Amino acid sequence: MAQPFRMPVVDSVPKVADEVAVGEDLKFQRKWWMFERVIWSFFVLVLLCDLLGVFGRGWLAKAKRSTPDQALTLDYERVERSGSPSVMTLRFGPAAAHNGHIQVFVGNEVIRGLGARRISPEPATSALTDGGITYTFDSGSTPTIAEIALQPMFPGKHKIRIQVPGSEPIETSVLVLP
Amino acid sequence: MDTIIRAIVGYFVLLVVVRVLKRRAGSQLTPFEFVLIFLIGGIIILSTVDSDRSVTNCTCAVITVGLLHRVLSWGKARSPKLGAFLDGAPLVVIKNGEWQHEVVDRMMIRPEDVRASARAQGISSLEKVKYAVLERNGGISIIPKES
Amino acid sequence: MAFFIIARAAFGYLFLVLIVRIVGRRPGKQLTPFEFVLIFYLGGLTLTGMVGEEVSLTNAITQIITVALCHYLLSFLRFKSERMARILDGVPLVLMEKNSWRHETLVRMRIQDDDVMHTARQQGIKDLSGIKTAVLESYGEITIIPKKEK
Repeated sequence: MAQPFRMPVVDSVPKVADEVAVGEDLKFQRKWWMFERVIWSFFVLVLLCDLLGVFGRGWLAKAKRSTPDQALTLDYERVERSGSPSVMTLRFGPAAAHNGHIQVFVGNEVIRGLGARRISPEPATSALTDGGITYTFDSGSTPTIAEIALQPMFPGKHKIRIQVPGSEPIETSVLVLP
Repeated sequence: MDTIIRAIVGYFVLLVVVRVLKRRAGSQLTPFEFVLIFLIGGIIILSTVDSDRSVTNCTCAVITVGLLHRVLSWGKARSPKLGAFLDGAPLVVIKNGEWQHEVVDRMMIRPEDVRASARAQGISSLEKVKYAVLERNGGISIIPKES
Repeated sequence: MAFFIIARAAFGYLFLVLIVRIVGRRPGKQLTPFEFVLIFYLGGLTLTGMVGEEVSLTNAITQIITVALCHYLLSFLRFKSERMARILDGVPLVLMEKNSWRHETLVRMRIQDDDVMHTARQQGIKDLSGIKTAVLESYGEITIIPKKEK
């Protein structure tokens, strides 16, 4: 063996009271105390942001988009959390109804990215379209409201697209936090 | 049925993990160790019970774990080898005032850890230590030099 | 996707280390009910965030292995580097030496002289004059070096 197996014990640490060896380091400790104050302030800040909805589920996260002809208004959350259920609301205006039906195209990002679970009320038909699903509802009288129950599975930024055929699409992005 | 299997697997996984982690050098069972143990245990709990949170299922799991513990305890008492395997054996860190380098490196013990244990026994510095033993539970026992 | 499971476990463990470190050391060896509340609550919350809905045995084992690896990694860093050891564990602090108190330390660590005396009494020391040095260890316990040594 290159090195001897045993080594004599020698104290290499400043001694307190000329005898007691304590590895004290007041310089470090003072820096640490300052660090603690910073961290606690940061934590308080995080909580405030959470309360305000910066991380989802709050006032700042709620958003609303409409098409110019008011055919479709979307209530959604800008920030979602993965694994947590939420609801996206689609409001249809008079311009959305054609021949007693309301059709809406919901992009794949909403279905898979945001984890759409259910759409209520039950649509009369749903058809797989390029890039998403087109739902058809019987419209009794307008305005009508449809709700999509969401439960995102993975974190990430998702660009979503919802469109009533004949009107402009609503495109926006939703951030899903872990 | 599969809850019982999961309980058994989970128990042994926990045993292995806690055994491997337990001797973080100088681990005086601070609150952090408790949190860690509780955390790991909790993860296993959730996986054992899965989506069936009924009283029936949980009681079965509890009984399984209790039985396992009983069996292993009986085994430990009967067979010292099993005891050494499950609990570990004490290791000498300082012998006759000299560091046992191999042990120190393997168990990742810092001089400060031994110093702290020495202080806990009222011994003021490492030079006064004759023997230091890393116990099975992670604590370090000090035998001072006679002066 | 497995990445997120591992990432959650690693983040949970590291954040826990930070929190326990920041929440501070309490003097005394016994874990009072006060501490137990903290332990169970923190542990439970962390694990709920880690696991979420994904309660399979595979996930559980993966996450436990991740936690174990992180723990081992930190232990290794602590062993190799004095700086990491100071950051991860904290340093011992002298509370009293040569019969005088270190006021700044006492105040900042929120320790009363009674806590020190309590520990001293447990070692059979009758009063303050019997203490040579009192040290607050990095893990929270107070150790006393008595004037008469073994």
